[in-house]
Amino acid sequence: MLKKSFSLLLVTALIVVLAACGKGSEAAQDGNKKVTLKIIHWQQENINNYIKEFNKRFEEKYPDVQVEYTTVPADSTYDQLMQTRMNAGSSGDADIIPLKFSFVGAPQEWSKGAADPMWKQWIDGGLIADLSDQAFLKNYNPTDVKNAMTYKDKVYGVNMGKVALTGLFYNKEIFKKYNLAVPTTWDELVHVMKVLKDNGVEPIGFGGKDVWPINLAVQGLQASIHDDQLEYIKGLWTGKTKLTDPVQLEVLEKTQILMNNAIGGFMGIDYGTLPSLFATGRVAMIADGTWDATTIQTANPAMKFGYFPIPGSNDPAKNKNLAGKYDMTWMVVEKSPNKEYAIKWLEMLSEKQNYTDFVNAAGFLPTQPDVKITSEFVNEIQPSLENFKLSWDQLFINRKNVGQYIKDASVHAEFLAPAGPLKTPLELAQKSQADWDAAAPK
Amino acid sequence: MYPFGKGAARLMPYLLLSIPVLLYLLLGFGPSMVTVLFSFTDASGVPGQSWNFVGFENYTTFFTSSDSGDRIASIGRSLYFAVAVVVIQNAVGLFMAILINKKLKGDVFYRAVFFLPVVLGVTVSGLIWQLIANPLGGPAQAMMNFFGTSSNFFGDYDIAFELIIFVQIWMYMGYSMTIFLAGLQSIPNDLYEAGYMDGASGWKAFKNITFPMIAPSFTVNMLLSIIGALQTFDIIYVLTGGKFNTTTLAFDVYATAFGSGTADYGLASAVAMIQFLFVFTVSMIALYYLRRREVEM
Repeated sequence: MLKKSFSLLLVTALIVVLAACGKGSEAAQDGNKKVTLKIIHWQQENINNYIKEFNKRFEEKYPDVQVEYTTVPADSTYDQLMQTRMNAGSSGDADIIPLKFSFVGAPQEWSKGAADPMWKQWIDGGLIADLSDQAFLKNYNPTDVKNAMTYKDKVYGVNMGKVALTGLFYNKEIFKKYNLAVPTTWDELVHVMKVLKDNGVEPIGFGGKDVWPINLAVQGLQASIHDDQLEYIKGLWTGKTKLTDPVQLEVLEKTQILMNNAIGGFMGIDYGTLPSLFATGRVAMIADGTWDATTIQTANPAMKFGYFPIPGSNDPAKNKNLAGKYDMTWMVVEKSPNKEYAIKWLEMLSEKQNYTDFVNAAGFLPTQPDVKITSEFVNEIQPSLENFKLSWDQLFINRKNVGQYIKDASVHAEFLAPAGPLKTPLELAQKSQADWDAAAPK
Repeated sequence: MYPFGKGAARLMPYLLLSIPVLLYLLLGFGPSMVTVLFSFTDASGVPGQSWNFVGFENYTTFFTSSDSGDRIASIGRSLYFAVAVVVIQNAVGLFMAILINKKLKGDVFYRAVFFLPVVLGVTVSGLIWQLIANPLGGPAQAMMNFFGTSSNFFGDYDIAFELIIFVQIWMYMGYSMTIFLAGLQSIPNDLYEAGYMDGASGWKAFKNITFPMIAPSFTVNMLLSIIGALQTFDIIYVLTGGKFNTTTLAFDVYATAFGSGTADYGLASAVAMIQFLFVFTVSMIALYYLRRREVEM
């Protein structure tokens, strides 16, 4: 009898526990009567630190709000988090979601049959809040609002700034020691690498293990070798240009030369260790985006370094400008129960002083006018930014279900020796073109 | 007569069993059925987006689209992975089990050491090997440098996949060992004594007594490692993220659903279905042969 009542008790307990699971979190929320504003983000130390500090001030201004700020690695982990949180719909798993770039990659009239990027599907599906009427948008440059935050004449995001990604960081002290000037042509760059190598200094570091950091260098070469990247990309769709064209082969050949001058084992180095590799002086240059300047500075505050566009061409005029993208675009989830606070959060972040602090912490180029940049680094690269252009990955539109040689970021130098198994640029170019052709819409 | 008592109390076991059954239906079977359904649709995975039935289109895409070559290569890689893991992991596991069964001094310690990777979990194991293979001052790189060479390890097309196989075996050999050990310890000592009288010792004793007697643990180990190996996704994700030609069919399911910037749940579900059929077929064939072997013996 005792046994029986005991097991009944056990079952009841189990059922209660199970039933309670679903409601648990809500009950807790009601308990302290606070709104939880959920923000997700990718890991980028300098930016994360600023946002955390900003969140504290936001909570002070709005005492009934508690900000839950979640960060995950910037690779596909973040893309996946974005997707799953967005799919959770109105359950409030995320209120503010930043996009890693701006609204680019939507199919154009010349790219029939291309897949819709995630952000476009979300906006078309009514999942992203329309911010067009928000007064704080006036703080931003109208052109930047148009270029980076607008889709179908409505504003769906708040872009935090531009970054350049087609340059190389260089160690000023090492350059000075060997009497090297910042190279403005390809031949000069080759000379710099040779001098460094002759003196036993590792010329370049890549974050090869994550693959995409190599592509930063490739994009630098693309930006300076191609006369008009967009025209070339359009040509790929219409068949006017091919991935085996001399210009593209030149890009691959020069990439191979850069990789041949890279530090041994660069394909085993992950992106996260790249700044410390550079800051400790183990390599003279690294291929990285300007957003990592503050990370390098933190890793070694005494270090003197600069940034120059990768000179892919022998015509200095073509190498003058950096290319890049609009980084980080905050989007508000339309069905979020905390939409009102999410917008307030963006409003406060867009205030002149907060925005200025953000840009300086992040090392971005501002999308608001008259922002005072304190970063010596950003001020120094200003001349290369005067004719800022979009990088290859912001312009390229890919075909559906394409093979691995042209998938995603589209140029895959990691297949090329010494990183990968293919010996010559021509082999890689032919394989890429074959994959591209095979994916042509029927 | 009434093992669970009389009256209402008889229902107790069913009531208790119904909880896991319900949970399974809700969290296991239900989503699986949705996957079957999705694999015949063009569902995008974006909430609120409408979807239509497209018949076998996703399956055709898998086998005929531009990247089918890559997908079929990943099936081949899955098989390679499974064969290597099953053979080596069980051979090593059996060898270690026999050694430990010898009642060495400190066998408990060895058991714990060999079983440790199983307990550590994938992320920790992955991290350990990544640190060892770190090109900037990792011990493996230092050793390579000593011999005047260097390697990219997990970033190297030639060996990345083999290294993953190695880590997978390292992680689960303790598991195989434990199952073999259980089998070994159930063999009565009389058999060996009798065998000894008939002149069977060493290899002969192993071949004629030990191996037949552990047939059930052998079956269990083979099946578990085949299914485990074919479904391996986590360690690949941790070590290479599917780069450098290390994508297997199981990883492809993940990559299709979450990998690129565009979601395609329909296609991803079809890949998952193909993965299921693949694992199911291979394990059924294996089960058939393993069972027959047990009976014969």
